[in-house]
Amino acid sequence: MRAYLICLLLSAFPAWAHAAIVHLQARPGIQASAEYLEGQRDKPAVLLLHGFLQTRDFPTVATLARGLRDAGYPVLSPTLSLNIPNRSQSLACEAVHRHSLNDDVSEIAHWVGWLKSHGHRSIVLIGHSFGSMQLLAYLDAKPDSAVKGYFGASLIETRIGRTPRPSLMAQLKKQAQNAKGELVSQQVSFCKKYLSTPDALATYVRWDQARTLAALKKSPVRMQLLMGDADEMIGATWIKALEQAQIPILVLPGASHFMDGAHEFDLLDNALKFLVYVQPSPSR
Amino acid sequence: MKWPESIPIAQVALAFITGLMLLVSLIAAFSAYQTRNVAHELGQDIQNAAQSELSMAIERIERQTESQADKLSLWGETRQQLILPEYYTYWRDQRVYESGILHNHLARAALYERSGLLLAPNPTKNSFPARLTNELLTRQPPSWLTHEAGAIVLYRLFPVYNNEEQQALLGYGLIRLDFMAALLSQDGFHSIDIKSVKIALVPGKTIAPSELKAHLSYGVLASHGQDQFTSILSNTLLALFVVLLAAALLAYTTYSRLLVRPLRQLSQDIDAMQRGHVGQPPSRSLPMRVSELENIRRSLHDYQLQLRELHGSLEHQNRVFHSQARQDALTGCHNRRAYEEDWEHFRQGLENSPQGVAFLLFDCDRFKTINDTYGHTKGDRVLCLIVDALVMALRANDRLYRLGGDEFATFMSHTSPAQARQIAQRCQSLIDAANFKNLGINEPIGISIGIAYCEAELCTTVDELPKQADIAMYTAKQPGRNRIALFGEDMDRATQTLVASRETSALFQALAAPGKIEMHYQAIYVLPERRVDYYEALARIRHHDELIMPGAFLPVVSNRRLETEFDMAVLHQIDADLSSGQLPPGCGISINLSAQSISRSDVVSHLLELSRHNARHPLMLEITETSLITQMSEVSSHLEMLRSVNYRIAMDDFGTGYSPLRYLADLPVDVVKFDISLVNKLDQDNRAGRVVTDFARMMSEVGYSLVAEGVETESVLRKVESLGINHVQGYLLARPLPLAELVASHALPENDKATRKSA
Repeated sequence: MRAYLICLLLSAFPAWAHAAIVHLQARPGIQASAEYLEGQRDKPAVLLLHGFLQTRDFPTVATLARGLRDAGYPVLSPTLSLNIPNRSQSLACEAVHRHSLNDDVSEIAHWVGWLKSHGHRSIVLIGHSFGSMQLLAYLDAKPDSAVKGYFGASLIETRIGRTPRPSLMAQLKKQAQNAKGELVSQQVSFCKKYLSTPDALATYVRWDQARTLAALKKSPVRMQLLMGDADEMIGATWIKALEQAQIPILVLPGASHFMDGAHEFDLLDNALKFLVYVQPSPSR
Repeated sequence: MKWPESIPIAQVALAFITGLMLLVSLIAAFSAYQTRNVAHELGQDIQNAAQSELSMAIERIERQTESQADKLSLWGETRQQLILPEYYTYWRDQRVYESGILHNHLARAALYERSGLLLAPNPTKNSFPARLTNELLTRQPPSWLTHEAGAIVLYRLFPVYNNEEQQALLGYGLIRLDFMAALLSQDGFHSIDIKSVKIALVPGKTIAPSELKAHLSYGVLASHGQDQFTSILSNTLLALFVVLLAAALLAYTTYSRLLVRPLRQLSQDIDAMQRGHVGQPPSRSLPMRVSELENIRRSLHDYQLQLRELHGSLEHQNRVFHSQARQDALTGCHNRRAYEEDWEHFRQGLENSPQGVAFLLFDCDRFKTINDTYGHTKGDRVLCLIVDALVMALRANDRLYRLGGDEFATFMSHTSPAQARQIAQRCQSLIDAANFKNLGINEPIGISIGIAYCEAELCTTVDELPKQADIAMYTAKQPGRNRIALFGEDMDRATQTLVASRETSALFQALAAPGKIEMHYQAIYVLPERRVDYYEALARIRHHDELIMPGAFLPVVSNRRLETEFDMAVLHQIDADLSSGQLPPGCGISINLSAQSISRSDVVSHLLELSRHNARHPLMLEITETSLITQMSEVSSHLEMLRSVNYRIAMDDFGTGYSPLRYLADLPVDVVKFDISLVNKLDQDNRAGRVVTDFARMMSEVGYSLVAEGVETESVLRKVESLGINHVQGYLLARPLPLAELVASHALPENDKATRKSA
């Protein structure tokens, strides 16, 4: 069946399908890049964001991008700079992380603006893992009106291990006030030693499950979450919490955090369904 | 260089083993040479391997550094430092190592702004250039080596762009590598002595990596395998040499014990056998372990035993032969060979112990007549009886030698002339007492003994004894003697001189050299005319301008049994005289010959040849009657043959000798010459004179032509004429003349001839 599908996709590869690496100046001296896959103009553009410290080349994201593009959706798949000029590689946990969630949201806004500047009036945000959380932070801030939908796969809050979040926040606040350029090493997500500046780290730590649920609840756009019940990266109660908060959520049985294997298609199918659900408005 | 004809086997073995050792040494030397070559090649391989290892290590460092530079250049965090350099030192001191791009602190990294300024100063010990000069920025390749603060440092410069598309240059990065430390920390050095690697670089001088080889020096590790190989081979060669040396010594010892010694023993045995030492049989030597040699030893032993037996047999036979060779087969006494050896030995012994020596020579009287009369068998029996008597008469230690025919000799030491004479008389007595009548011989048989003696002080003259005894024997044989004569006592001087060495020497010279005999011719007259009828050829010997008369040399001729040789010499001289043509034609010649010569065919042959002169000179043969004619029939036959060629035969010296009447009856005699002793009887008016007169008349009447010899007086001549003897010869009428005088006399008138006769 899958082979049939692949053959079908290849035979139906449209002539409009075109890929390009695009750049934008995220901050002074910091240039960011994204891969833009052109699609049908009458379909909403998809801004597809990768996970924690990854790039757009991460398999789950890259596969999904090509699936969406093959379905005729324009896809912009940026790599967050994380304050690395033209970052093209995943960033090591041990690197000095001088980026903040605000920087990430700013870059997302830049890319939304880039899509708009390229004529896309209907934009659907699709994120994976921590990227879903960063897109949610964008929606929580001041989303562009062109953003019509939000599809979060394997959404995860900022996990800090067993460190009490309040005390950490207090410590980070205190350290940030010293303004001596001191670096903080903290477990973040899968990084045991995430080295960062206190204020930058604080922007991420602030987004716990509660903050995330709250952001979901007040999402201004149509939304859909896709979770895997075999996801070991998330907390054991997170899916349940999401369900209790009546967030639109689909739980894929057996799917892991990375929706790999056969679940790649589930991810694509659900994303396409969501895109159909969004019903894009005429692009022009 | 002359090679010896034969080499002892020990030397052969030694040469073989030495040659073997030399060969092994050569092989060992060749192996050592090959080993050295292999070791050299191995060393060269190790040298090449070391160089390759070093080159690979350097290349690996260069590639590693280049790779590090590329990674750093493309690393986002590197770009971040050039944009946000706040945490640059953290990047420089930790991130580059944590990221795994730089492996250790031998390598350091630094970033420079686009303008070339160092982003942040480095620690003192790892000082980077504070600023990148244009020379460094434009250097190709962008790496260099320099000697800095006592260390060899490799720098690698790389640009840092804002993205992978290299759209905008952000700055530069520089990797500083402690090259020597990095080089020494490399793995894969198996052939090179890493501690010996040196880079000769002047402090402050900068070179490209490609120039590094020119500044490198290093040593190679001694190959353990090579050393082990060389050691094993050397030890093997040494062990091989020792083993071979021991084997050679063992082989030589074994070879010597098994082959050389036995062969040497065999050789010595054979040499001993060759020297005649056959007394030590090889069987006494130990058995030989080599079967072939043992066979040879046994064969040699058997051969030696046979040889010993043969030797013993030969010695016995030699003794027999020696005895037989020195023993007279007829009489059993010692023969002439024994005489010569014993005499020589005896003579040499006298030189050391001088003593009085007597030499006795025995000769049987009239033995030839006995032999001829009674036959050889009885003659031999007579000789045996004589020998028995002589042996009995001689002293116990005296030896009797038969010198030939009926002649015997002995020599005595420690004796005196009286003792010698006494022994001689005893010999004669025993022979006289011998019973010859048992043999049917009625005539008395006796021996004549010549004795020669030499005093002890005159032993140097002992060589003269045989000759002196011979002379004494001649004296003893003379009629009227007592048949024993001692040289020097029983001989007058004339006799001694007669057969002394001068005459003997002259005789032998005359026989050896023709021309020494000179013929004198005495006329024989016809009676009563007293006319010369013919001449009798009489021999003289010319010796040192002195003429030796027949009375001096004829005894020697007779004693030496030289009648035939002498007669042949005389015939040669007469032939020469006749052939000279000096004698007047018709002049007859009468030739004296002994009866022994007539029996010889060679003499007869010569006479037949001489008969060619008969036409010019009638020839007559005078047979000496005093000699015994033993082969009567043969002589008679020869004379008949000679008569057929016109020889006339005359019986000479008739009236002396043995059997004149028998000779006259058996031999074809034409002329009978009365001996002078008979002629002298004619002058005596006694019974003997009458007998001779009647006998002469009777002979004349029978038809014999008679010749009276030795007529020296007129009365005898008249008596001869009265008896009717028609020929006469004697000093009364003519003396013998040499040929020249005879020829001259014929040339004289008749009255002169008469004068010469009377003279």
